[in-house]
Amino acid sequence: MRRFLRENSLGLVFGTLFLVVLVAQAFAGHADFNQQQLASGMEPVSLGRYLTSASFAADVAENWQSEYLQFFLYIILTVWLVQRGSPESKKPGEQGLGSDEKQKVGAYATDESPSWARAGGLRRSLLSNSLGLVMGLLFVASWLTQSIAGAAAYNEEQLRDLQEPVTWAQYLTEPDFWNRTLQNWQSELLAVASMVILSIYLRQRGSPESKPVGSPHAATGVEG
Amino acid sequence: MQRLVRRATLLITMLLLAGCSSVEQRSGAAEETARRFLQAAANGDGQAACGVLAPSTEAEIDAPCAEGIVDEALTAPSDQAETQVYGQRALVRFADDTVFLAVFPDGWRVVAAGCEPRGERPYDCTVQGG
Repeated sequence: MRRFLRENSLGLVFGTLFLVVLVAQAFAGHADFNQQQLASGMEPVSLGRYLTSASFAADVAENWQSEYLQFFLYIILTVWLVQRGSPESKKPGEQGLGSDEKQKVGAYATDESPSWARAGGLRRSLLSNSLGLVMGLLFVASWLTQSIAGAAAYNEEQLRDLQEPVTWAQYLTEPDFWNRTLQNWQSELLAVASMVILSIYLRQRGSPESKPVGSPHAATGVEG
Repeated sequence: MQRLVRRATLLITMLLLAGCSSVEQRSGAAEETARRFLQAAANGDGQAACGVLAPSTEAEIDAPCAEGIVDEALTAPSDQAETQVYGQRALVRFADDTVFLAVFPDGWRVVAAGCEPRGERPYDCTVQGG
C-alpha cells in the first residue's frame, strides 16, 4: 500500500488537490451566487440547487476546456515545432513523427510494448495518437458543455434584468461566451509560453520539467 | 488517467441531466402562477393577485396592494402561452402580456407583469420591483 502511494504520488496528489479545490470552488461559488440572489431581492438557494445550476456548470466547464485545449495544443505542436534551449522541446532537426524504430512500433515493438503498438492499421494509429485525441475530445466536450450551461446561466441573468433570453446558437455570438472563452485561453497560452521560454534560462533542481542545473542554456530536450 | 476521464465525463453528464430533468415541471408551475396572477388581477381579485407577487414587486405597488394591482388594468391571460425557464427565473409570454417570475421558498412568484418588449433593452413593465 505504502509502495503504491509512493509510486503514484504525483497523480494521487494532483487528483486529491483537484477534488479539494473543486469543493472549495463549490462553496465559494454558492456564497457568491446567494449574494447576487439577495441583491436582486430573492431568497438564497441551497448548496444542492447551486451545484446543479447552469452557473456552476459553466464556471467549471469554462476552465476545464481551456486546460484541455492547452494540453492538446502542446502535445500536437511539440511534434512539429521546437524551441532551442527548452527541456520541453525536441532537439532541432528531430521534428516530426519519428521512425518506427524510435517509436518502438510494428516490427520494433518490444515484449513490454502495448499490444496495439505491435498491431498494424487502425489500432496502431489510434494508440499512436491517443493522447492528443483524448485531450482534443475532452476539450471539445468541455467547450460544448460551457456553451450549453453558459447559455442557460446567461439567460437566467437576462430574465433577472427583464431582458429577452437567447437561443444556444445566438449565445455563441454573444460577447459573454467569447469573453468567458478567450480570458481562459489567453492565460493558458501565456503559461505555456512562459514555461517554454523560462525553462531555457532557469532551473529547478530535481524536476524533470527542468534541465539539470549545470546544463548550458542552449541544451535542448535535456531533462533533469 | 482513464478513471479521471470517466469521472469527469460522469460529472458533466450528471450536471446536464440534473439541470434538464425538471424543466418541464418547473415551466408548467411558472405558467400556472403567471396565469393565476393575471386572471386574479383582471377579475378584480387584488388580494389573490398580490398573494403571488415577489416581495420587492409588491413593495412598489401603490398601497394597499389589493387595490393598486387592480388599478394597473392588466389583461386576462390568453389560452396559449410560451414559457421559458432558466435556473431561478422564468418568462411566460401570453398574447397580450409578458410576465417575469422568480423562485421563492414557497414556489414561483411574479417579479414583473404588463411587460412590452423594447428590442435589446429591458422590457417596459407596468408592474415591476424596485
